[in-house]
Amino acid sequence: MNAALLLERVSKRYAAHHAVRDLSLEVPTGSIYGILGPNGAGKSTTLRMVMNIIARDSGRIEVLGQPPEGREVLRSVGYLPEERGLYRRMGVMDVLVFFGRLKGMDARDARRTGAEWLERMGLGDWRTARVDTLSKGMQQKVQFITTVMHNPSLLILDEPQSGLDPVNQEVLRETILSTRDGGGTVVLSTHNMDQAETLCDSVCIIAGGAKVLDGAVRDVKQAYRGDRYRLVLDAFSTDTGARNEVDRLLRRYSTSVAVESGNGGWLFELTDFSQRDLLAQVLELPVELECFERVEPSLHEIFIERVGAAARTARREVSDA
Amino acid sequence: MREILIVLGRELKERVRTRSFALGTLLFPVFMVAVLLLPTLTGGAKDRHLVVVNEAPPPISQLFVVALTQAFPTSPDTAAATPRRRGGSQYRIEVVPGPVAEVRADLVARIDAEELDGYIVLPSDIRDTAHVQFRSTRLGDPGMLADIRNAATEALMADRLARAGLNVESVTELLRPVRVDGGRVDERGEEAGTAQASFYFAYIVAMIIYIMIALYGSGVTRSVLEEKNNRIAEVLVSSMRATHLMAGKILGVGAAVMLQMLIWVVVIVLLVTQSAWLAEQFNINPAALNAITAQPGTALLLGAYFVLGFLLFAALFAGLGAAVTSDQEAQSFQMLFMLPLFVPLLFLLQLTTRPLEPLARTLGMIPFTAPVAMPMRMAAARIPLAEVLTSLALLAITTVLAAWLAGKIYRIGILSTGRRPSMRELIYWMRTG
Repeated sequence: MNAALLLERVSKRYAAHHAVRDLSLEVPTGSIYGILGPNGAGKSTTLRMVMNIIARDSGRIEVLGQPPEGREVLRSVGYLPEERGLYRRMGVMDVLVFFGRLKGMDARDARRTGAEWLERMGLGDWRTARVDTLSKGMQQKVQFITTVMHNPSLLILDEPQSGLDPVNQEVLRETILSTRDGGGTVVLSTHNMDQAETLCDSVCIIAGGAKVLDGAVRDVKQAYRGDRYRLVLDAFSTDTGARNEVDRLLRRYSTSVAVESGNGGWLFELTDFSQRDLLAQVLELPVELECFERVEPSLHEIFIERVGAAARTARREVSDA
Repeated sequence: MREILIVLGRELKERVRTRSFALGTLLFPVFMVAVLLLPTLTGGAKDRHLVVVNEAPPPISQLFVVALTQAFPTSPDTAAATPRRRGGSQYRIEVVPGPVAEVRADLVARIDAEELDGYIVLPSDIRDTAHVQFRSTRLGDPGMLADIRNAATEALMADRLARAGLNVESVTELLRPVRVDGGRVDERGEEAGTAQASFYFAYIVAMIIYIMIALYGSGVTRSVLEEKNNRIAEVLVSSMRATHLMAGKILGVGAAVMLQMLIWVVVIVLLVTQSAWLAEQFNINPAALNAITAQPGTALLLGAYFVLGFLLFAALFAGLGAAVTSDQEAQSFQMLFMLPLFVPLLFLLQLTTRPLEPLARTLGMIPFTAPVAMPMRMAAARIPLAEVLTSLALLAITTVLAAWLAGKIYRIGILSTGRRPSMRELIYWMRTG
């Protein structure tokens, strides 16, 4: 069993639309995996099928090596649904014990672990408080504890960041990282690309229910980096002669200069030229070269580029149909 | 199975902890005692002070006073010495001579001053007209009116018989009224208790069943709705079967009902064992308290009606909770669901006085009315066991069917939010759920 979560050609159709189509993905054990996509892309539907909350129409799902219908295996999974909610009239500790026991813990164990987590989350004093007396952020934390307290080997978080303040986002981030470092696997859905980029080992971008791309973040970025270079020259503004030479160079590459960046550099997207030629010409300039680097696209840019294309294709399909 | 118990425990705990549970548990016995005792505590047990304006020839006024103040006087002379209650009231009588025109102003003044409860005029031509007048501020008290009518009738009859040649002692003996001691024949032969007592019992049991189903049934709907709207359901069904969740919920709420009822039964048993003492203290018919006793067999059957009835409606309410989207929506549908349970209460009189006729039989057979209708019938008459068992079997089958269908709606319903499903969608859920 190498993959903590495996989807093979999974589809789900609602009366009017295809929520998920032929989605295949593989989440390596011990990694943090991000499912990225715009609103309505099918992220939540996918995760709900994984949790056996809704039935898939076709395809194969394996959770920790077993089909989710067995339910037993779902005990080893912690699931945080997109829309949060707890029993409002119950005490905080009672809620924790209830969910802990449903996941197979015994009551005393659940009480002890729950207390530890409450301390860790800064809710130690709220143990006996009723849930509806807590602030929304506190309730989110309590719910997060119900998701992780049974020490699941697979953590599935649907939009975990939404509604959390920066401090608690950091707590969440730490928990996700420590789960991974403890050998666990985390699958999270988000449309926050910066978060995904810094947190995830691998990602899968979906749009319109279908996979756009997937793979390790490093590989994805490599595959989409293209021929983009950033050039920074030293003190070019002081010497008029030097500046004229730079201008001449820039004119030659006018079709390639994409962005003039604020800190005195240029961004080149080379299509008709090679990086060697460019560098050779730069070195001939009467100014010091400060920086010449290949620019990697951010996940955000890849996302916009690819999902934008997918959305355009989808629109075209709809209008053709 | 373990999950069912966990859910059951949570539901039970959440219910038992509420203020309304504590209040209900405490207030119901108080309420019941009050219902039994109130009539005698207020109005009834009061001292009534009346004036008899006597225009009639003797010994009518004397006979009247005796009849009103003494149960069965052996002689008019000893009567005044032993005042007694009649229909719950105790009368103090003052006889003044007529004619009424001369004393009326004074009497009215005394009534205004609340010294008197009223006055009775025995006219001079009473033997011909058989007519007395009663003036009071308390004409609304039917007990007092009946007492006066009965006493006057007795007095006149005694007078007529005496004039026909019988002496007064033999007349009172001749007029001794008959007391009817009602009792119901059942499997064990004869059962103590009056017809009035059976009625009380039927009424109480039927009301309890109705109230408990209404109260706790709607609790099931609310609880389902909370899980659905909070999306707790999503987390729950990823750890357990939806049908197990529903079962745990219904059984948990049911356990809360049972706990409450158990407390009540203990209180009632205490009341009944002390019925003689209570009856003495509050001057009520001990039979009214004894009525609450039931034979173990009957109690078992009544329990079966309650349990099955509760499960049937709880399943319907669980399905309802899964199908609607808001409390308001749920409430209007709940009223609709509760209607069949209410029908037997509308036919209370027919069910208790003519329990073996087609209307009562039908209400006893329909599974949605039987849980309330059958206890009423069983209290009022001896229902053939075969009929009871058939009715129970029908109820059980319907309960299983309802639970099965509700489970299907529940499985899909608790996970779908937004718009309320149309009837067609509901049927689709039932087919595919």
